[in-house]
Amino acid sequence: MAPVTSPGVLGFKSVPMTDAMLVRRVLEGDTAAFTTLVDRHAAACTRFAMRMLGNREDAEDATQESFLRAYRSLGRYEERQAFRTWLFQILVNRCRTAAVRRHRRQRMFLVDDGAVAMASVRPAAESTELRAELNRAIESLDPDQREAFLLKHVEQLSYDEIAAITGAGVSALKMRVKRACDRMQWLLRDEEVSDVGT
Amino acid sequence: MSEPENPHWLRQVSGELREEVPVRAAWRAKLLDEVARAPRPSPGAGDDETLSDPWASEARRPRRLVLHPLAGLAAAVAFAAVGAATTLAVMTRRAETPARTEVAAAQPASRTAAAPMSDATSDVDIVTFELSAPTATNVALVGSFNRWNPVATPLERDAVTGRWMVSLRLPAGRHVYAFVVDGDITADPAAPRAADADFGTPNSVVLVGGRSS
Repeated sequence: MAPVTSPGVLGFKSVPMTDAMLVRRVLEGDTAAFTTLVDRHAAACTRFAMRMLGNREDAEDATQESFLRAYRSLGRYEERQAFRTWLFQILVNRCRTAAVRRHRRQRMFLVDDGAVAMASVRPAAESTELRAELNRAIESLDPDQREAFLLKHVEQLSYDEIAAITGAGVSALKMRVKRACDRMQWLLRDEEVSDVGT
Repeated sequence: MSEPENPHWLRQVSGELREEVPVRAAWRAKLLDEVARAPRPSPGAGDDETLSDPWASEARRPRRLVLHPLAGLAAAVAFAAVGAATTLAVMTRRAETPARTEVAAAQPASRTAAAPMSDATSDVDIVTFELSAPTATNVALVGSFNRWNPVATPLERDAVTGRWMVSLRLPAGRHVYAFVVDGDITADPAAPRAADADFGTPNSVVLVGGRSS
């Protein structure tokens, strides 16, 4: 990730601050530097959590808890690992926990193709039909496949990074992503996305 | 080494899913408020448990417990009464197994056993949880003993038989549990269902302490 200019953090007009530098600033007492880390990563974290959990409320809870845990444990962060990878490691754990907690309340994610086809949940008025189909397809993936697919193709992380985040091996992750792609392509076969370019 | 370019449909899907989710100002303000009220982090200090396993870590955290002798006696009596009642309930339920056996049989290629093996002290048993799920890629055990943490207790697969297995040391008492098979919570088809299945999710139960479920 390209360094972002953070005016004023070091008292200079324009100082490019990497995530690791910001972490150091926080640990040296400049807790406001954590705000920059939040602003830099909150959108991606919320997006991942929303795609994983299927709704904004759970996603915001998981993201908030992840940032708070990251803040409390910042002293343990090691710079050899990208801050984003470290943060996603926490976030993935929070999403898994949230999903199982919710699974125990009710089954949110549909797991069979027939049920997916008959799903009656309609998209919000402003959503496109394609987006609604996409959401349904994503929700129908097994959680570990959905997780790997999102980290690879949406968050654009490398397999090594995903392995560090999820604790799974690279070959297993590649298999999960492949299965997720196969299933997504099959589920979206009648949609515009699979017509274009085929 | 560069990876092959993604097909068009995948690029389009990824692009749609990559669309930014706006961060709500109220949410951001609440988060920053929580951060401001949290203890300030310092180098080397922090929560060791954040990355590995937040739920299990809470279970491991030492807790200070002050118990009055009379309260302790009362608790011991209550525990013995609950244990006896639970055993009776499970034995009664065993007598009506046909219906339950049908439920178990309805789950193809899935046979399990939670088999306690008494240890000399009898207050802790080694319990082996076993599930036959040859097509599964990921099986974990969740239960009251690991705070329903889906990543704390993975089962290992025997490549030859396709059976998944894990052994745990569990304290005496009644433990409610389930398997997470490729993300889906599944009751143990070879064990009695817990009477207190919560939120509609069926759980299983194992009794430790000389008597299995």
